[in-house]
Amino acid sequence: MKYLDRLEELIITFLMGAATLIIFVAVIHRYAAGMSIPGLQDWLLALDLGWAQELTIIMFVWMAKFGAAYGVRTGIHVGVDVLINRLDERMRKKFIIFGLLAGATFTGIVGTLGAYFVWENGAHYAFLTLTGMPVGDIPQGPTTPDLEWPTWMVYSAIPLGTSLMCFRFLQVLVGFLKTGELPHHDHGHVDGLEEETVPVDVDFYGLDDNLHMRDLKHSMVGDDRRKVAAPVDPDRRKIDLGGEPK
Amino acid sequence: MNATIIFLLLLALMLTGMPISISLGLTVLSFLFLFTHVPLESVALKLFTGIEKFEIMAIPFFILAGNFLTHGGVAKRMIRFASSMVGHWYGGLGLSGVVACALFAAISGSSPATVVAIGSILLPAMVKAGFPNKFGAGVITTSGALGILIPPSIVMVMYSVATNTSVGALFMAGVVPGLGLALTLGAVTYYRARKYDYPRLPKASFAERFKTFRESAWGLLLIVIVMGGIYSGMFTPTEAAAMSAVYAFFVAVFVYKDLGIKDVPRVLLNSANMSAMLLYIITNAVLFSFIMTNENIPQALADWMLGHGLGMITFLLACNVILLLAGNFMEPSSIVLIFAPILFPVAVKLGIDPVHFGIMMVVNMEVGMCHPPVGLNLYVASGITKMGITELTVAVWPWLLAMLGYLVVVTYWPGLSLWFPRYLGMM
Repeated sequence: MKYLDRLEELIITFLMGAATLIIFVAVIHRYAAGMSIPGLQDWLLALDLGWAQELTIIMFVWMAKFGAAYGVRTGIHVGVDVLINRLDERMRKKFIIFGLLAGATFTGIVGTLGAYFVWENGAHYAFLTLTGMPVGDIPQGPTTPDLEWPTWMVYSAIPLGTSLMCFRFLQVLVGFLKTGELPHHDHGHVDGLEEETVPVDVDFYGLDDNLHMRDLKHSMVGDDRRKVAAPVDPDRRKIDLGGEPK
Repeated sequence: MNATIIFLLLLALMLTGMPISISLGLTVLSFLFLFTHVPLESVALKLFTGIEKFEIMAIPFFILAGNFLTHGGVAKRMIRFASSMVGHWYGGLGLSGVVACALFAAISGSSPATVVAIGSILLPAMVKAGFPNKFGAGVITTSGALGILIPPSIVMVMYSVATNTSVGALFMAGVVPGLGLALTLGAVTYYRARKYDYPRLPKASFAERFKTFRESAWGLLLIVIVMGGIYSGMFTPTEAAAMSAVYAFFVAVFVYKDLGIKDVPRVLLNSANMSAMLLYIITNAVLFSFIMTNENIPQALADWMLGHGLGMITFLLACNVILLLAGNFMEPSSIVLIFAPILFPVAVKLGIDPVHFGIMMVVNMEVGMCHPPVGLNLYVASGITKMGITELTVAVWPWLLAMLGYLVVVTYWPGLSLWFPRYLGMM
């Protein structure tokens, strides 16, 4: 499990960095090839980077699918949680479980659809050729325009990434049933304010902002609206913000 | 009839608190299964092609660029520069806060990030200098929202994705209204500071101004690269975003040295996490707008409006009310992705300029970020100032009111947003 987590993080970190570098190199190449430096120019002109754009798109599609799964684990997906955050704990628990199950259902359906699509568009053919079985009239499937990769390989991001996401939803659900906690109450964003610096990895979409479901173990930053105008208990603040209140 | 079913379904699913992307997707799937005979293959195809556009890839790049420069060190430089320029006027540090927020917001592209970075440095300083806590919180919370109006802005890229409007034209159109809003917020700050006689800073010498400018110039050059690159036609918007990400990396690691090489994977992972979440909403919003078009809903809405003799003025008013209401429940990107495909065709039919409509939506989103129950900026500010949300809402009120007034101006004066891109010949 730990290896899967690590692999997921490695994949999306790599894809993000590599895609940026590819576009950067492609742009530099375009302008450098226009300069008349003898020798260098011929070499640059011989390089064809027309595939850069397509590769970046493919990389980002993969990053988006696996990143969405990672996002379930980090609890970054935003929702409309104004109403359910005001319900009492018993009701809120039911809604949270429903939400997580709905997520698992949707990603499950999409993952299955995706697997079917990929299978019909070339994976079946590739499988048969690989194992040396007769192909019959099963289509070979299209290829991408610039790189001429089989599209089924590119699109397998959808069954793979979405199934992982489905798995993550179920994982979060199990964790929630066991402990009553959801994976976003790491108040890391207010750490280090005393030093007057902002931590490097502030996560602006991961705040308690009625955009995320409030779990059963933590209270929200801000005030408790069920008792309007009641002052916030300083002890609760201390726990929430991980430091002494000013 | 179908429209009612779709919207009720979406509303019901959203209110249960599941992620917006999931509720959009589930709405589409269940609607297709239950009420239509659209072949599922076309849905599958949409799922794959939803984000396969090079234009959309600007979003992860801009997020990455912003995250590299979202750092306390950059914020400090912007604050020093701003206070050396305007600190000696009435409102001193408060006015500097507005300017610093505008500069930092343009670079980081994220409103809550701006509030955290500028606020956590400037607010303690303001309290120390004798400003009431409320004043500082009000200035920073509202000025932080400038981030989505002053380009480069991710919300604008979202709008252009949803409506096929030119990103370049939108960016240029954001400049004048952005400066205008900064001026408005500055004016409110100035007026209130003068009324209550808040402290001012000593006037900075020219040498000091130049020094602080030179320090902050590296960060500000990012805006020049993006805007200049797009305007001169050197880069497409996506390429400009990628260039700005590489530039931001260079500045953060080698010039400012706020980040070490070892921090880079963390920034990459964090940016990937945010962008994947936004891209996932886009994928599902594309599906959603596909069934909207399939059911002819925008068309029907436009016909209904025209049939009842409702003109541009009523429509814009209705749009603002709907969007402000939506701002109570959702964050900007989701609002733009859900509402733009519905409202945009109607706007075009009524003869409203696509770019102007986009700017209006973005200003609207800004207002939404500063008021409860969902207002990212408010919650961030609450974390910093340790003030409750109710207390903060009262503190923000004068600036929020000015912003609402400004929204009316932007809505009914297209020239304000359209003049600059037209002058540059971009539209």
